[in-house]
Amino acid sequence: MSTVAPPVSGWRGVWRMLANDWTVSEGPAWLHVGKTLCAALLTLWLAMRLELEQPRTAMLTVFIVMQPQSGAVLAKSFYRIGGTVIGCIITVILVGLFPQDHVWFLLAMSCWMAFCTAGATRNRNFRSYGFVLAGYTAALIGIPSMDQPNAVFDSAVTRLTEVSLGILVSTVVSAVIFPQHVASKIPQFVRGRFASFVEFIAGSLSGRIDRAGIEASNLRFVSDVIGLEAARSMGVFESPEVRLRSARLSQFNHDFMAVSTRLHALHQTLNRLRAKTDLGERRQAQSVLTAFEPYLREIAPCLSPIEAPVLQASDAHAAARRLADYRVTLPVRVAQTRADLSEQLNTQSCTQPIRQAALLDFDTAAELFYRFVDELHVYTETYASLAEAQSKHAVSGRPYVPKTGLLVSTVSGLRAVLALGLMCFFWYAVAWPAGALATIFAGVGCAIAATSPNPFRTAYQLSIGALIALPAGALVNFVLAPQVDGFPLLASILTPFLIGGLYLSTRPGIGGVGVGFLLFFGFGAVPDNPIHYDPIGYFNNMIGITAGNFAAAAAFGLLLPPTSGWWLKRIVYDLRQLAVKACVGPRWRIVHSFESASRDLMHQAGALIEDKPDAQKVALSWMFVTLEIGHAMIELRTETAALVDSAEFARDHRWALPLYDARDELAKLFENPCIEYRRSALAAIKRAIDHVQQKAGATELAPLMQDTSPLPADAASSARLEPAFGGTAPPLPLRQRQRLLRIVSYLHFMRSALLDPMTPLPGGSEFREFPLGVADAA
Amino acid sequence: MPHDITLLGAYVPVLLALFFAGIVLSWVLDRILGYIGWYRLVWHPSLFRVSLFVCIFGALGLTVYR
Repeated sequence: MSTVAPPVSGWRGVWRMLANDWTVSEGPAWLHVGKTLCAALLTLWLAMRLELEQPRTAMLTVFIVMQPQSGAVLAKSFYRIGGTVIGCIITVILVGLFPQDHVWFLLAMSCWMAFCTAGATRNRNFRSYGFVLAGYTAALIGIPSMDQPNAVFDSAVTRLTEVSLGILVSTVVSAVIFPQHVASKIPQFVRGRFASFVEFIAGSLSGRIDRAGIEASNLRFVSDVIGLEAARSMGVFESPEVRLRSARLSQFNHDFMAVSTRLHALHQTLNRLRAKTDLGERRQAQSVLTAFEPYLREIAPCLSPIEAPVLQASDAHAAARRLADYRVTLPVRVAQTRADLSEQLNTQSCTQPIRQAALLDFDTAAELFYRFVDELHVYTETYASLAEAQSKHAVSGRPYVPKTGLLVSTVSGLRAVLALGLMCFFWYAVAWPAGALATIFAGVGCAIAATSPNPFRTAYQLSIGALIALPAGALVNFVLAPQVDGFPLLASILTPFLIGGLYLSTRPGIGGVGVGFLLFFGFGAVPDNPIHYDPIGYFNNMIGITAGNFAAAAAFGLLLPPTSGWWLKRIVYDLRQLAVKACVGPRWRIVHSFESASRDLMHQAGALIEDKPDAQKVALSWMFVTLEIGHAMIELRTETAALVDSAEFARDHRWALPLYDARDELAKLFENPCIEYRRSALAAIKRAIDHVQQKAGATELAPLMQDTSPLPADAASSARLEPAFGGTAPPLPLRQRQRLLRIVSYLHFMRSALLDPMTPLPGGSEFREFPLGVADAA
Repeated sequence: MPHDITLLGAYVPVLLALFFAGIVLSWVLDRILGYIGWYRLVWHPSLFRVSLFVCIFGALGLTVYR
């Protein structure tokens, strides 16, 4: 047999090919089905053997906890046990507080479930699972035993035992039998992301990728960031190797967000230069671009040259060194280019303001570029540090925690309370024997669906699953089960149904039906210990369960349905609030959370509007403008704060007033976007730019570089700077003047972001700023 | 060792307490083994961890039922 692509010959070849296809496409799903089935039956047998009261609870736990990846099972189990323990304690307390007092008890129980549902919506990691469990365990134990306060402790203990058994078995089965590790995929994932980012840098800086491509890539980056964080949070449970690298993986994500924001800003700046149509400025913009373009082409070869590509983390050390060397040479070279550009502009016949604006464009691009190289270096270094098990690489980022907005969570809690309340009312009004179960499962349905991105679809699919489970359970209970004896035969009649349900649950799009079927089939068909033969009770209960589920689905469909647009509006509002916080919120807090919070919001928006490209565009453009303005504002504030603290500026705080003014105007604009505020923000920024430029003195000469910029550049430029001051005012130290010029570049960047025709801000592409002269007069 | 202990007025099997003790012990051991890179030498790390826990719990259990 040759090693290259075996030729397909005869039936054996065809079979082999089909078998290979099947293992790749269907294999993982069937492996999951097999493992879950094995765990479920093992749990059922153990529960019967240990004579637990309700073996089905243990088995249902298996269905809920089992996931294709071992790490996910461990993470889910951890929170499930925690949630169950808390739920049990709360039940005992509630029953103790309101013994045999139905109204108060049900009221308190509804409030508890609402709180848990809200918590499940708010936390979108595995913690949400703890909330779901804490809520519905309380309902499952509490409501049936509200008339027998004495029995509640026993049933809480039994339930805890059953759940723990299910968790124990599923954890061991998923970890030991053909384990599927997330951890083993992380290096591959990280490698792929680095490679595609390098490619993206090369493409976007050379202007090869259009806006649609940039949007698509940024959406992918958002889901990459979220995906890596999810993989990391599961991986720490399953592999010691990942646990050792956990903090660095978080940092890797953090650095990635920083560098991709910077790249976006740089790219926008260049695009705005390219798009300048005004005849007076076009030529100057072209010269700026021509002067700047050589730098852009240097990045990709420096990062991953063709002769020594960065294929894995261990290669990245060399790339990080190359970037560090490259960064050292930048200040001197940029200063030279700027001087050349300045001369070139002098030869062109243009007015002084236009010439200065062109230089400001260059400075802004240069500053962004320098910071970009710096952040890329940090990112590459973090990537390199992942190759080693232990590393002294500095880690500063906090792990990113996905959270849903408070209002949305509150709404979801209130929805649960309303659904439960109506169900209780119905139960009492018609004295329905299965009302208790209907109430419980309305709550359970609300809680489970609240964790999914499209709750209505999930709740609806769960109800359909319950509907299918009703006849299937009846078939097992009253036709098949009476004819069999012993556990092996019981297992053999349950197996076909369970396989069907499990297979359905692995199908994307209709997974909810499978889960619903498994849960309610398990609830109805698996015999208690000892077995009751009770057809009337069975139908009553199952109809109650199905009705409860439909009530939950109806609640999601009718009471402020999340997909109807108000949630998206809220997300856009939250994005804008993020920009407001970047302007006026506490600085130390926003620095850490800004990047991840904006990605998190975008991810939520993405899940809501998968099938609406227009809405997606709007949300994305808001994310971009928030990132641009917010990020620049945070840096502006950092620089301003450093200056305010410095000796030269400590005496006179009034110098920063125009800056504060611009900041407040921007906050106002994002708080309440309208054309007037957009104009006044632009005017305030313009005033601030003029003011700071004046303060900095010779705008003509200094290159803008970071604190970390090496001294030779400072020395070189300060040598050329000296004559500019002419000995009248005491010159500011070079470092402070560079800071001021950096502030100007951020202000200029914000100004150009506000003027961008693609912006979602009011006015859109029709927006016209006042002519420069008018703005100056105002 | 007695077979049961009282916890807040309820009888609890000593084995349950030992189970938690076993979890804590094997967690500590797992951290140490992970830190020194032991798991890179093991064919099936999860199986090894499960077996390690079974051994520890079994040994603890032997102090009660022997």
